[in-house]
Amino acid sequence: MEQSSDEQIVIAILEGDKDLYREIIKRYEIKLSRYLRKFIADKDDIEDILQVVFIKAYKNLYGFDIKKKFSSWIYRIAHNEAINNLKKIKGNRVSLDDVEYKLIDEKADIKGEADRKFLKHDVEKAIGCLKPKYREPIVLFYLEEMSYEEISDVLRIPKNTVGTLILRGKNLIKDNLEEINKKHGR
Amino acid sequence: MEDKLENSIMGKIKTGQVKIRSKYVFVAEKLGLGTAFALSVLLSVLLFNLILFYLKETDNLKYLSFGKFGIFAFLESFPYLLVVVFIVLIVLSGYLITKSDVSYKKPFGYLAIGLVLFIMIFGGVLTYTNLGREFEARAREGMTPARMLLQPMTDMRNSGVAGIVFEEGEDYLILQTPQGLRNINLEGLKDLPKMEKGQFVIAVGKKDGYDFKVEKIKVMDKNDIPAIGRGIESKFNPLSDEKIPSDLLYFDKIERDCVKKCLDSEKEKKTCFEECRK
Repeated sequence: MEQSSDEQIVIAILEGDKDLYREIIKRYEIKLSRYLRKFIADKDDIEDILQVVFIKAYKNLYGFDIKKKFSSWIYRIAHNEAINNLKKIKGNRVSLDDVEYKLIDEKADIKGEADRKFLKHDVEKAIGCLKPKYREPIVLFYLEEMSYEEISDVLRIPKNTVGTLILRGKNLIKDNLEEINKKHGR
Repeated sequence: MEDKLENSIMGKIKTGQVKIRSKYVFVAEKLGLGTAFALSVLLSVLLFNLILFYLKETDNLKYLSFGKFGIFAFLESFPYLLVVVFIVLIVLSGYLITKSDVSYKKPFGYLAIGLVLFIMIFGGVLTYTNLGREFEARAREGMTPARMLLQPMTDMRNSGVAGIVFEEGEDYLILQTPQGLRNINLEGLKDLPKMEKGQFVIAVGKKDGYDFKVEKIKVMDKNDIPAIGRGIESKFNPLSDEKIPSDLLYFDKIERDCVKKCLDSEKEKKTCFEECRK
C-alpha cells in the first residue's frame, strides 16, 4: 500500500477499508503540520486544527474528485481551517524553518556573514508582515514545493494569479527586508 | 504528537464516532447547485428579455423624447421591480459560479463578463419570440407574478399618458388608454400638432383629478407603442379573443350589439367588425 497513490488509497477506503486512512494521516501529518506552522504559532492550535482537517477530510471523502490530486484537496481543507483560525486569532506569528532561507531573492542585496545572524529573524518578520494572500502562495510554492497548478487548486485562484502573487510577494519580502536593514543601520 | 494524533483519529473512525458522509449528500449538493445556477441564469435571460420588451413596446422610453419634461413620466413608468429582480438574479448567478469546482481556473471578471454576455445575447434572441407578449397577456389577467413585474405597464401615470384619440375638442381630448377613457386638458397650449380620432398620442404633464393637464404632446405611430395599443384593445374590446387591428376598436353600444349578433352567426370576426362599423 505504501506504493499506492493517494487517490488509490482513497478509492480503497471508500470501498470499505477504513483502516487505510492511517496511511493518509501518515503521509500528510508532517506536511500539513509544517504548512499550518506558517500561519499559526501555537503548537496546540496546530494539533487541534490538524485533527479537524483529517476528520473533515475523512467525513467528506466522497466529495473528493478522484480525477484530481488528493494533496491539493487536503491542503485546501487545511488552508480553510487555517484561515478560520486566523480570523479568530488576530496578531498571529509566523515561524520559520531553515529551508525558508531560499525565499530570499538573490537581488535583495543582503550579503555578508554578519547579516546572516539576523537573517532568520528578519525573513520571519518580512513574511509575517505579508498579507495572507501573498504569504499563502509563497509558502506553498517554496516550502511545500507545489506547482502553480496545485497551488491554484488549493487556493482556488487562477494559475496566472498564483504566479503574480508569488512575484509580488517576493518583491514585498525584498522591500520588507530592505526596510528592516535600514532600520537597523545594516 | 504524530502517533497520538493518528491513533486518536483512527480510534474515532473505528468506533464510528466519525463516519464518511453518504455520497448522495454530495450528489444532492452538486445537483442543487447546478439546478439553482441553471434556474437563475434562465430567469435572468427571461427577465432581460422582459426588460427589452418593456422598453421597446411600452411608453416608458418614449417619454424621454420630451427632454426634461418627460423625466418624471419616465421614472414613474420605469419597471423597477423587474430590473431589481434581474440584478439580484445576476448577482446570485455570479455567486453560484464561484461555488462551482472549476470557477477559480479563470479570473472571476472573465466569467462575470461571459455570464452577462450570455444573458444579454440569449435575452436579445428571445425578443424574436412571442414570450414578451405572453407575459403581457398574463399581466393583464390579474395578480400574477408577470403582473407584479410589469406593473408600471398597467398602472395609471401621474406625469404621463399615452393612448388613442377617441374624441377631439378645441382644448381637450378624450383618450382611450389601457386604464380607460381619460380627459386630456389642452388649455393654454400653443403649436399643438394636428390630432385626429384614431391617432396614437403621448403626452407629459400632471394628473389633475380625473383629468390630465398636458405640458407637451406628440402624435406617435401606433407601432412605436404597441403595448399601449394592445392594452386599449384588451380594455375596450372584450369581445375579441385574438389580435384585432386597433383602428377597428371604437364601438358604441349599437355597434357592440351588432358585433355580438354577427359573431353568433359564426361569421369571421374581422368581417363582423367591418360590417358593424358601416
